Amino acid sequence: MTILDVRGLSKRFGGLQALSDVTFSVPKGQIVGLIGPNGAGKTTFFSTLVGLIRPDSGSVTLDGTSLVGLKPHKVAALGMTKTFQNVALFAESSVLDNVLTAGLLRHDVETARAEALRCLDRVGLRSVAHKLAGNLSFPERARVELARALCTGPKVLLLDEVMAALNPVEMQEIMDLIRSLRDDGITLLVVEHHMRAIMTICDRIVVLNFGRLLADGTPEQVANDPQVVEAYLGRSMEARA
Amino acid sequence: MKRWIAIAAVIAVAAVLPLLLNPTGYWIRILTFTLLFAAMAQVWNIIGGLANQTSLGHAAFFGIGAYTSTILLLKFGLSPWIGMFAGGLLGGIAALIIAVPTMRLQGHYFALATLAFGEVMRVIANVWTPLTGGPGGLSVPFMPPSVAAYSFKQLLPHAYIALIALIVVTFIFEAIRRGAMGYRLRAIKENAAAAEVIGIDTTKVKLQTAVISGVLMAMLGTLYAQVAVFFDPDTVFSAASISIRVALIAILGGVGTAIGPILGALFIIPVEELMNDLFSASAAGLSQLIFGVILIAVILWRPRGFITVFDAMVARLSGRAGS
Repeated sequence: MTILDVRGLSKRFGGLQALSDVTFSVPKGQIVGLIGPNGAGKTTFFSTLVGLIRPDSGSVTLDGTSLVGLKPHKVAALGMTKTFQNVALFAESSVLDNVLTAGLLRHDVETARAEALRCLDRVGLRSVAHKLAGNLSFPERARVELARALCTGPKVLLLDEVMAALNPVEMQEIMDLIRSLRDDGITLLVVEHHMRAIMTICDRIVVLNFGRLLADGTPEQVANDPQVVEAYLGRSMEARA
Repeated sequence: MKRWIAIAAVIAVAAVLPLLLNPTGYWIRILTFTLLFAAMAQVWNIIGGLANQTSLGHAAFFGIGAYTSTILLLKFGLSPWIGMFAGGLLGGIAALIIAVPTMRLQGHYFALATLAFGEVMRVIANVWTPLTGGPGGLSVPFMPPSVAAYSFKQLLPHAYIALIALIVVTFIFEAIRRGAMGYRLRAIKENAAAAEVIGIDTTKVKLQTAVISGVLMAMLGTLYAQVAVFFDPDTVFSAASISIRVALIAILGGVGTAIGPILGALFIIPVEELMNDLFSASAAGLSQLIFGVILIAVILWRPRGFITVFDAMVARLSGRAGS
């Protein structure tokens, strides 16, 4: 069953064609990796999906509902949200309050608090719940982002480089978490630069290059696609990993 | 629990204080205006402190409230208690009208746009003579004293009404701050894009905040009209003595906190009066100059407001009680 359907999505910023006729669909319960060189349009693509950026043309359908023209809060209410690559926490608020605020989408304050603690448990940050979000390390903040997105109760979760700057142990924890979220029935789109991680956890990989869909297939198919190898400066995927 | 006892104690002291003052005297008047301005600053604090939008146009809603209830009383003999709600309704509509175009503005731009709106209201009140009496102002007609007519021989009942108003708006402020809306406002203040992405309708929340603040400010305008008995456009729509003053009170006391506007008003209103009293006879304008110097000194001393002094005192007292 298709949960997310993207048809002919295009976006131009002045002279830059950030997204060019991107079409693909995601079945429910998959982990889909989104890769591509820097500037390929991955973050723009995520922002367009959640409604932060309005596309010039094309459509996005979430679980049968068209998202065309909807604001991000409507998209979140329908069940899709994203984390921010540069980490956009409410820095002056506590970690708990950051996550709790997301829980208010579907719950009252007390239930949202319980839900937020549960989400913090899942990312392993319950012990810092009462610290100011701005005082955490970068990897911790990325995990708060994840917990906050999770607390909106999404069907589809877009993760923009949540593994950046993690050590191998932390990375393994996040990979396990992403898999457990998939097992809970959440569909995940993951942007990540760490190739080994993405090859390991993803059911499927989509490659963007200059805003265009370059390849779409299993990790093996994509890793052996000559076009993809060329996009990554001619080096083989094995060598990068 | 301890917190509620402390709150009850403060309210009890505040309730007894007016009885100790001469009911027709000078100090009860200052107390009444201090309480009223504390309430006004608290209402400003909803938008200025929680939504972090520094409005310099709250005189618009205040004046609308003062004029609405007074005009209804003059033309239809309607009790100001009812006029107060009519004014609140109009204040809310005005707040909505100004919020729609200014909502997306931030910082100085929002401040300037709201300042302009307040001035526009002042000009309208000055020229719309058939309704507002123009620059000549309006006198609240004298009614036989009764609670129902909102008419009293002494200032004492006005002091209590102002006190009740302050308590009510402070509870509203705290309810918003602690509730779902408070979380949403903090999220919008700190990162509006992230707030949207996690499901907050930022437009709706900002409009709700503006309307709540506008409604309450207009209702306080009625209270002011009933105490002042006479007012003109330049007083109730004044940028300096209403809009900027309420913002100043909240900022000086501690913006975004429930106690801040109360501390700010307890300082600013009596000190300003005292300065006027001491110096206005000797040299015109000197009192304003000295008052300004005091304000600058206070802001340099405590940039985050009196609340920091207050917090330190509470910490010392509770520390002593604990040891």
